[in-house]
Amino acid sequence: MIKAENLWKSFPMRRDRPGLKEFVVNAPKFLKDNNNRFWALKGVSLLVKKGESLGVIGRNGAGKSTLLTLLLGVAHPNEGSIEVSGKRTPLLELGGGFHPDLTGIENIIINGVLLGNTEVEIRARMAAITAFSELGEFINMPIRTYSSGMQMRLAFSIAIHTSPEVLLIDEILAVGDESFRKKSGNALMELIKGGVTTVYVSHSMDAIKKVCDRAIWLEQGEIRAEGETGLVVEAYLKTQG
Amino acid sequence: MRMNKKNRQQFDLLKLLVKKEITLRYKRTYLGFLWSLLNPLLTSLVLFVAFSVFMRFEVENFILFLLAALFPWTWFSASVAMSSNTFIGNVSLIKKVIFPKHFLLLATIIAQLVNFIFSLPVLIVLTYYYGSTPSLNWLIGIPVLVIVQFIIIYGLSLIISIANAFFRDLEYLVNVLISLLFWMTPIVYPLEAVPEEIRLFLVMNPVTYLMQAWRDLFLNNILNWQYIFVSMITAVVVLLTGILVFKKLDKKLDEVL
Repeated sequence: MIKAENLWKSFPMRRDRPGLKEFVVNAPKFLKDNNNRFWALKGVSLLVKKGESLGVIGRNGAGKSTLLTLLLGVAHPNEGSIEVSGKRTPLLELGGGFHPDLTGIENIIINGVLLGNTEVEIRARMAAITAFSELGEFINMPIRTYSSGMQMRLAFSIAIHTSPEVLLIDEILAVGDESFRKKSGNALMELIKGGVTTVYVSHSMDAIKKVCDRAIWLEQGEIRAEGETGLVVEAYLKTQG
Repeated sequence: MRMNKKNRQQFDLLKLLVKKEITLRYKRTYLGFLWSLLNPLLTSLVLFVAFSVFMRFEVENFILFLLAALFPWTWFSASVAMSSNTFIGNVSLIKKVIFPKHFLLLATIIAQLVNFIFSLPVLIVLTYYYGSTPSLNWLIGIPVLVIVQFIIIYGLSLIISIANAFFRDLEYLVNVLISLLFWMTPIVYPLEAVPEEIRLFLVMNPVTYLMQAWRDLFLNNILNWQYIFVSMITAVVVLLTGILVFKKLDKKLDEVL
């Protein structure tokens, strides 16, 4: 279950963050610098019940990714509250936590544990993960020898094999080549339809319609429409010409 | 040992991060982990040559005198210096995965502690060489001082790691301050060798007591409870300050990473 109430999130509009020297010289200015902020989210509330999947659509810069980082908990809202029950698994830009000098196997273990599993659990699923990733011999090589497609395949394989309870997805169904894309899409679908709570951000209206029970349409940090997926998508597409 | 799943997972995570810290540092070198021991030994050699050949410091058992404080100092300075890079060097992890960020700091400190522990046999050999034997005091003193120093390092790391994300200049400042602190702490010279009027500065430096306590233990076989107590107070103050600063800045960390 995900329950978010009245989320506000802003970022400083400064071009660059100040260094210590500049900060000391201009301290009063920086400390008062609260008006010059960009509001990415302005009072967004949402509720996703257990096992439900919510689509998030909207134009670039509407606040979709900011919303995901708040739900994931790696960023904090300026105002509002978030409640998430269940283990959160991000499917954002894949492979963020990989270390280039560690092998595929070593990265699987450390990544799996980072995603909230014990080492024993991950080792028990090792065979499934490596098989799904189709990396073959490469699994014993350092990640730096992988192509970016291979890294994404590995990251995806780990994420879906860590028994996620809450999936936070940002536009990733397009992983790897055609055949892997199909396979990963199916695996994801199985998870989502199998009772995982999902928030799904995408620009692909087809994917949203296929995956989500409900959808919200974000515009300039506010919810412009919400409800049954088909209706929200239709309303959104009308404004896109 | 029975642990519930959450604790088990946290324990595994810390263990893996420590392991990664230790194995990765020298992963692509030929000597590998050996460098952890070689590094402080070579540094000591340089200091030994500088102070007993060129500058002619008259200290009994100079090499043991030096290493008794230099090894713990290396653990301290290396961990603190690395902490400035801990968060800004792990941006992709911190921005995409939720996990206790301070584990990254703990992993660095523990990895450096392992190096320190591996350098202890050198001290033991030297103690025998100079005709003395490690006593029961070591069994009490080492764990106590390790815990105290661990807390001090951790508190400082909390402050430096997160503050450096906001003011990146800090990283360079920290390096200068560490080398200043090195010379302002009686490590390569005895406290008594410092002229009376300047000694006040060293006495005001809390690290002096910590390093002196280590030296008293290894060199003189004494548990200097007075100095240990001062270090304990330092540890509490630094840790509380660290937690306070960390909590305050953590809420805004995502804006600057």
